[in-house]
Amino acid sequence: MFDAVLLFREALYGALVIGIACSVIGVYVVLRRIVFVGAALAELSSAGIALALWLEGQSLMLGLATHPIALALILTIAGALFFGAGGGRGRIPPDATVGVTYAVAGAAGILLISKAAVGEAHDIFLAGNILGITRPDTLVLMAVAIPVLIIHTVFYKEFLFVSFDRETARTLGYNINLWNLLLYFTLGVVIAFAMQSAGVMLVFNFLVLPAVTGMLVARSMGGVFLCSVVSALVASLIGFTLSVRFDLPTSPAIIAVSGVLVFLAFLIRLAQRR
Amino acid sequence: MADLVRFDGATLGYGRSVILSDLSFTVPEGDFLGMVGPNGAGKTTILRAILRTLKPLRGTITHTPNIRFGYVPQRDQVDYNFPLTVVDVVLMGRYDRIGLGRRPGKRDRDLACKALDHVGILDLADQPLSLLSGGQKQRTLIARALVGQPNVLVLDEPTSGMDLVSTTQILGLVRELHQRDNLTVLMVSHALNEVANYVERIALVMNGGFHIGPVDEIMTQSVLSAMYGIPVEVDSFNGHRIVVAATRP
Repeated sequence: MFDAVLLFREALYGALVIGIACSVIGVYVVLRRIVFVGAALAELSSAGIALALWLEGQSLMLGLATHPIALALILTIAGALFFGAGGGRGRIPPDATVGVTYAVAGAAGILLISKAAVGEAHDIFLAGNILGITRPDTLVLMAVAIPVLIIHTVFYKEFLFVSFDRETARTLGYNINLWNLLLYFTLGVVIAFAMQSAGVMLVFNFLVLPAVTGMLVARSMGGVFLCSVVSALVASLIGFTLSVRFDLPTSPAIIAVSGVLVFLAFLIRLAQRR
Repeated sequence: MADLVRFDGATLGYGRSVILSDLSFTVPEGDFLGMVGPNGAGKTTILRAILRTLKPLRGTITHTPNIRFGYVPQRDQVDYNFPLTVVDVVLMGRYDRIGLGRRPGKRDRDLACKALDHVGILDLADQPLSLLSGGQKQRTLIARALVGQPNVLVLDEPTSGMDLVSTTQILGLVRELHQRDNLTVLMVSHALNEVANYVERIALVMNGGFHIGPVDEIMTQSVLSAMYGIPVEVDSFNGHRIVVAATRP
């Protein structure tokens, strides 16, 4: 079994990198109640990939099919900055704006890919192609994840403060909009790159489930981050191994293990209360 | 006493929407000011202008150099889902002094504990914030405001949603901080009967109007009836002023 897993070790390394990056940012995603912003950004990223492939099919912007990340990145970061700046506030509730983005971007992605000359099956956006991750892909993911994690480590207290109590942070001179934009920017960058290999479903999983596991088990912010990362790594390792051993689709296997970890964390929480 | 904040013909609002016009008043050093009015009257708008997070549409607002606010937000403005201890929250009051990208040190922790001791909850320092009572949460937020060593303490609806005992304790603590530490205090509330018995001056904000003065000057039948737009009576019970509507329910 482990020989088979080793055969796909590059894919496993890639999944671990995605898991770590998403599970760290996911703590803010869950605590700030912007879970569906994560989902909408993942859909925007998939729409960007589809747009690149469709343009390639129309003999426009040739070369984008080999680098669809460019359009995915532009769309995702634009969406992240829009939501980070409080886009949609006013007459329309912010969560409705997120819902519109999610639905339209999701549909646009499927419509564009269905008419693209090049490209793969529609469900690639949903399920991803995690087994297709190569060494260069992992290196690119690391080149994105490491600076993002450094930013989150260095500016931990700033991100925490503006997330916990923005009005008080503002009175102490913090530029709330700037810090929000930086937080959303890092979220957008990670999602755009992770989406290339992991698909909407797995990226969304890594953004939400490990952080929920951490919040159920840990009693401090440091503990939540640690449990979130550990649970993402454990889910990746076990899910990946099970998918190879039992010939299961990899992303759903990882998500299923993440779900089991959330359930176990819930039981631990119940036991702690008694 | 020097003026810490001065409004000169300031018009406040958001975008093209004017909330309050032509405000002129000062907050002198050592003041204990209660800003009272119903929800939506513009109290928070004035508060934001005082805290420099809202610029006037017209007129000027001048702050004395080196002014430092200790802000206590409304309790429901803080997200209690965050797994933070009491001391974690208090330390946030020093974040701007600690500097960008740096972590709190031993001195910051000592000051946080001192602030907690000041408000009487040092024993709760390592407790999760989410497990505290309303009054304890409010004390935590006051300690956070104090740890930054402010010269003006600003409280937004500090007793909102509290029972009689907690309300009395929190207002007593605020008065103690004003008297003991000679701290300038600005307190926003919708409950005139609560605030009037603690503060030294009152600013009434209602129906687009603004009236500020010493408590004795504001707590009169004529001023309050004019501001509320209904006849009111001002009575006294055991030294406590009570305002009631003159018409029986």
